[in-house]
Amino acid sequence: MRVGIIGVGMTAFRPSTPEYSWKELMFEAASRAYADAGVDPRTEVDSFVTCAEDYYEGFGIFDEFTPDQLGGALRPVCTVTGDGLQGLANAFMQIQTGLIDIAVVEAHSKASDILTLEGIIEHGLDPIWNKPLGGHPFLIAGLEADAFVRKTRTSVKAFAAVVAKNRTNALRNPLAAYAAKVDAEQVLSSAERFAPLRALDIAAPADGGVVLVLASEAAARRRHANPVWIRGIGWASDSPTLETRDWTQAAYAQLAAEMAYRLAKVRRPATEIDFAEVDDRFSYKELQHLEAVGLAKKGEAGRTVLKGGYDPGGALPVNVAGGSLGCGNVFEATGLHRAAEVALQLRGDAGSHQIDGVRVGVAQSWRYIPSATGAVAVLGVGQ
Amino acid sequence: MTFLERTTDARRFRQWEGNVEADYIYTSGVAGERFFVALRDDGKMLASRCTACGLDYLPPRLFCEDCFLELTEFVDVPPEGRVAAVTMAHLDRRGTPLSRPQVWALVTFEGIRGGLVHRLLVPPAKARVGLAVRAKLKARGDRVGAITDIEGFEPVRS
Repeated sequence: MRVGIIGVGMTAFRPSTPEYSWKELMFEAASRAYADAGVDPRTEVDSFVTCAEDYYEGFGIFDEFTPDQLGGALRPVCTVTGDGLQGLANAFMQIQTGLIDIAVVEAHSKASDILTLEGIIEHGLDPIWNKPLGGHPFLIAGLEADAFVRKTRTSVKAFAAVVAKNRTNALRNPLAAYAAKVDAEQVLSSAERFAPLRALDIAAPADGGVVLVLASEAAARRRHANPVWIRGIGWASDSPTLETRDWTQAAYAQLAAEMAYRLAKVRRPATEIDFAEVDDRFSYKELQHLEAVGLAKKGEAGRTVLKGGYDPGGALPVNVAGGSLGCGNVFEATGLHRAAEVALQLRGDAGSHQIDGVRVGVAQSWRYIPSATGAVAVLGVGQ
Repeated sequence: MTFLERTTDARRFRQWEGNVEADYIYTSGVAGERFFVALRDDGKMLASRCTACGLDYLPPRLFCEDCFLELTEFVDVPPEGRVAAVTMAHLDRRGTPLSRPQVWALVTFEGIRGGLVHRLLVPPAKARVGLAVRAKLKARGDRVGAITDIEGFEPVRS
């Protein structure tokens, strides 16, 4: 059974959202998605999936707080403690059971509510082996970037090129929080943070909400919808132990991609995929992830970005909407935002950042510091 | 010139400030107990051995991540390790700029799966991958059986 995306709703991504509570942010994204899909959540949606982590939200048992603002009261509702793409996989499988015709996936960030963001991220560190040492959690990204540079002989100039590309791309995305005409020199002269990473290599937090409406092929046809098909989806985790995981490559992304490609019958991703939206919450991650998901050979992503190969007009446009560097880090909503952008591109609805003639795109997610978990979705239009 | 930085400080707007009390003790477990007692009493590091896979794990754990066997044997970690990755942190754990950067490293040991992420006790200019290092321990009487009994890793040859 094919499953497609028939509705996309997003709020703007902003450094703070003082006029809205997090529930109202969800309500806005959901209202937009239902309007886009032409769906009444109270009578036509069979299941609701939200994606969140209690510590980011600031209260316990997050899932109990979710139904009302999605139109999901007195209905099947569940929360995936993970990135939005993991929630998308969950909804995809729910529809595959045949019990559910239309499902909704939601993820959001109200990061501006968090007064002690470093402390919250630090809670993800192992409390016996890592956290007692008292380092900033981003030093993990510094160590991993260092390992990536050495293994692949990638220049830090390539990191700067990623930042410049994504923040500049965001200028053509009216929803982006951190759009700016940034050049590589500004990145390379920004304050040192976690060598080799500098201040502008690190995506700043943002608020925002994303909701997707999914339907079975039969339900989509009944509604005369023109779906973006979820051709394949996969997820995987490397060892959570910092010391034993693979520091030189994103093994989780490679495994997730292999799973998604198997389902989508993609055999040569580098030639079959038209564009990609991948996690870039630290600049090097974009390059590491492109290599992991088979869209660049090991060690070549850095050289390609320096030659403009991932620009909107390049051979493989990457993060055309601005990525997290341009749109802001929306935490567990990051992957769902990527899927939403891929869907809009495939529909031809990406506005001034539309790429011409795209038929198949990849969305890739990572669960942020200090995780080694990720997911990949292959989306496509037509047969 | 464009905006590079914007406010994310919601405290400037109407809000209710709350906090989550979350205090715990974290138990070291069977394998952690072996490691930390040996570190405190004998000043040495232990790895747990998977006899089926021929792997010695640091940090030691009770289970093999490759074959899922329960691990009951422990072996000494070689005293000399090598820096496998290095970073200089310019912010402290709360995000406040540091007057002098901290050097951090992933230290690995020959024949050991894993290693330790810890402070590297050298000036930033001397921090490099491949450097041979050993653990610098607190004095016997100051050790409590925790990862902080290791002050950091220092060069074998200065």
